[in-house]
Amino acid sequence: MRPMDVPVLQPRLKVLNREQALAIHSAALEILEKTGFKMEHPTALEMLVGAGCKIASDGRVRLPCYLVEEALASAPGQITLYDQKGNKAMPLANGNLFYGTGSDATFTLDVETGERRRTVLRDVANFARVVDHLDNIAFNMSMANPADVPIIEDIYIYVFAEMVRNTNKPIVFIADSGTDIAKIYQMACLVAGSEEQLQDRPFLLNYSEAISPLHFPQNVMQKLIFCAEKKIPVCLPSGSNAGGGAPVTLAGAMALGIAENLVGLVVHQLAGRGSPFLFGPNVSTLDMKSTVVSYGCPEWSLTQAALADMRDEIYGLPIWAYAGASDSKVMDAQAGAEAMFSILTAMLSRANLIHDVGFLEYGYTSCLEMLLMADELVAMSRFFTDGIPVNDETLALDAIDRVARGDANSIFLMDDHTFYHYEKAQFLPHLLDRSRYDSWEQAGGTSLYQRCNAEVKRILSEHQVEPKPDDVLKEIQHFTRGR
Amino acid sequence: MRDFHLLAQAVMNGDIKAAVAQTQAALDAGADVQELIDRGLIAAMDEVGEKFSKGLLFVPQMLRAAKTMQECMKLLQPLIKEGEVTSKGKVLIGTVKGDLHDIGKNLVSMMLEGAGFAITDLGVDVHPDKFVQKTQEIEPDIVAMSALLSTTMPAMPATIEALTRAGLRDRVKVMIGGAPVTMKYAQEINADSYAPDAGSAVTEAKKLLGID
Repeated sequence: MRPMDVPVLQPRLKVLNREQALAIHSAALEILEKTGFKMEHPTALEMLVGAGCKIASDGRVRLPCYLVEEALASAPGQITLYDQKGNKAMPLANGNLFYGTGSDATFTLDVETGERRRTVLRDVANFARVVDHLDNIAFNMSMANPADVPIIEDIYIYVFAEMVRNTNKPIVFIADSGTDIAKIYQMACLVAGSEEQLQDRPFLLNYSEAISPLHFPQNVMQKLIFCAEKKIPVCLPSGSNAGGGAPVTLAGAMALGIAENLVGLVVHQLAGRGSPFLFGPNVSTLDMKSTVVSYGCPEWSLTQAALADMRDEIYGLPIWAYAGASDSKVMDAQAGAEAMFSILTAMLSRANLIHDVGFLEYGYTSCLEMLLMADELVAMSRFFTDGIPVNDETLALDAIDRVARGDANSIFLMDDHTFYHYEKAQFLPHLLDRSRYDSWEQAGGTSLYQRCNAEVKRILSEHQVEPKPDDVLKEIQHFTRGR
Repeated sequence: MRDFHLLAQAVMNGDIKAAVAQTQAALDAGADVQELIDRGLIAAMDEVGEKFSKGLLFVPQMLRAAKTMQECMKLLQPLIKEGEVTSKGKVLIGTVKGDLHDIGKNLVSMMLEGAGFAITDLGVDVHPDKFVQKTQEIEPDIVAMSALLSTTMPAMPATIEALTRAGLRDRVKVMIGGAPVTMKYAQEINADSYAPDAGSAVTEAKKLLGID
């Protein structure tokens, strides 16, 4: 008899129909053609004009839509990030998705005291080491804007050095301008072995931001052009949050954010045709009471689900997203609820590169315990989105027959089928507690926060990051020796 | 005593048309301009500010009230002689050298204006010398600076030093804000005050000038 082979439905969330996707895209093109944008980088401006843009009498650049079409056609539909040892780690394409941390938190919750304090370089190292250890966190961002960097202009050089010392996973990095990004690139070449090897197997992606609405500063474009020329994968979301940088209504905020992203893409492809560009704006909301940009709101999850639909309908480029963060100041029920909401919806909508995992306080505070919790929530979500395999083994008719017709003591728990399948058939939590009350109480009656804290401490004391060669570390050291 | 209740109500509701009509009606009836501002417009904005700080209003409601007040002020401006009408204080504001992010700064400007301060906004990427020059020119009570990036933060102490060198530091209060800014940082660089958001910027500004 032929074994049963039924395709498994993997649930996929859709929030836009084709008409909605096209209407938002058209609006973005109209913004570029009619309102135009402010470009402060002379070379970028020259390239744009050379390609067919017009500078209107108000000094703003008007961009014709055929340039968008050309850029979308020349940008690669797949970006593969490697780990720092050269192994394929993150093929960003179609519905592949990867979670990672965020950058530049001003504060962190101290693992020893639980207190919110200013971040330091040591925190960059600790987050990188924990990321290095976690199964469901694929890439690393700094999680800190450290206060103890000796030379402030070199802050991102110090941060990058700290990250490569403490993890071998792919890195999404920040730079300030064309100056420090060139040095970070040199360090990355050292890690990869050579410039050629880095371009062949990039382990890093640059995150940079334009200013909403429609403003492209000099230093931001320097970085973008540098990445285009060196073929370093890059993304350029703007802060088109609804109500602040962008209209309060989500469709308009998306149209504006996408328009800004398309400007970045066009300049990028003019500077380096075929270089990898990760698409997508950050469309969250500006909270109407506190004026913070919310990291726990349903709107951001909704707009990135919508962007995933637009990727499938129109853009065909891998997309940038966020999840696993919260507006709460402590890792409490709000933090758990908001983290899970965004993690699950990002997964169901098949966003590709998903950052900011482990943030509290609307991205101002990083939290190692939150990262640990999120790691487990990602695993839980992945189990759900993998769907239900239906085949001879999982239908288990033999086991049903054996147990139902077996002797009086037969139970499924004792059947071999259970032993062979339980690890895959069930989601087995590590940190979420399902113990019976008495054993939970005997084990200290801990909260999830306390268990995550203990696990963070264990990882920090036990996890060994495979070290880089001495000569590489030595050369990296030169970049951070108080020049 | 003239009753400005309806005017205040219109300002609080952000009803520009009604507020302007009330202002005109009060003027036509011979109301004193200073009294109209103090007991009508500013009183309304004080209540708006108080409700906002209690979480009873959303930001757009407050900004709309501020805009309504400004529309009413347009009617009054031609009637005001230089130095005749008093504001709560003069504030010079801008984002520091190198920083182009102005959403937060604009919000602070609007809120301070709504609360009755006179604002001079220097915009973005303001060189320390520009702060100094304008301080000499308009003699503000408060110099307010913002920076979004840790890499532009050093322009804050640089501006404070420039004010000191020009002999102006003692004559103004310095307020700072922006994502990477903390109270501790404000103390380190010898600023007088720090505000984490636009709402508290108003509270801090009042505190600095000993109002309320």
